[in-house]
Amino acid sequence: MSNELNDRLRAALRPVDPGERFTQGVLARIAREPPRVPVAAQRAVRRVGLRWLSGALLAILATGFLVAHQWRAQHAQRGEAARQQVMEALRLTSEKLDLAYRVVKDKEHSGA
Amino acid sequence: MLTRALAGEAAAFGMLVRTHQRSVYSLALRMLSDRHEAEDLAQEVFLGLHRNLSSVESPAHLAFWLRRVTLNRAIDRLRREPRQTVPLEDASSLVIDATEQRDPLLQRRLRALLGQLPPAPRAVLLLRYQEDLNPNEIARTLNMSINTVKSHLKRSLATLRERIGDGANPGAGKTELGCLPDEAG
Repeated sequence: MSNELNDRLRAALRPVDPGERFTQGVLARIAREPPRVPVAAQRAVRRVGLRWLSGALLAILATGFLVAHQWRAQHAQRGEAARQQVMEALRLTSEKLDLAYRVVKDKEHSGA
Repeated sequence: MLTRALAGEAAAFGMLVRTHQRSVYSLALRMLSDRHEAEDLAQEVFLGLHRNLSSVESPAHLAFWLRRVTLNRAIDRLRREPRQTVPLEDASSLVIDATEQRDPLLQRRLRALLGQLPPAPRAVLLLRYQEDLNPNEIARTLNMSINTVKSHLKRSLATLRERIGDGANPGAGKTELGCLPDEAG
């Protein structure tokens, strides 16, 4: 019974050919579609495109690295200049204070 | 032929269509039970193939791709516009009259009974008996587990066997089965 059912199903489900009209219908629908780039060309474009894309990514990364490096160097330079300005200001202040101290001391001696 | 079609040769693509149209059209026809819809779906599948030809790696992959896309699209259509289907366990009204054992009629009725199954077991039976695939190949094509495929096959065959072998209530299935489409006509 099992084999008989299998045979019956195979017989009942034999593929049916839709005929040449079907093939022509498919080809006509394809012809109506907008023209397409041949597959080989598509693959070549994809390969070239991938190379360009990876090249562009590398260039972007390198540029980003350089910009970051420059920004950091400029930042450090500005920090150093500011530090030197502060040190100079402190030195000047200290000199002025020394001078004032000496003037006050001199006046005390001459007054005594 | 595939290489020439990949190079953009229209005649080679026509040959590919001629080679595979029997399988694609028959799968669509037995899934949708409507000749016009099946033809439309099969044409769409070949248009899709034309657009995606660059992704096809070999003749075996081409056959696999066509079966998979045809069945997925048919199942999608059935989900969008559900037809009347009967779960196998409830298909008591589809009893085949065992007194009529002439092959053409029986084959027509087997196809009709198949057309009443839910989409998934129907697709499994089609791949097994129309396309002659083994359960592993069916599982890969339909993206199912092997156990699900085996379960669908076992349950569907048991029910079909029961319907065919059961001659009781001979008139019950006649009207329903008789109104389903005849592929030959």
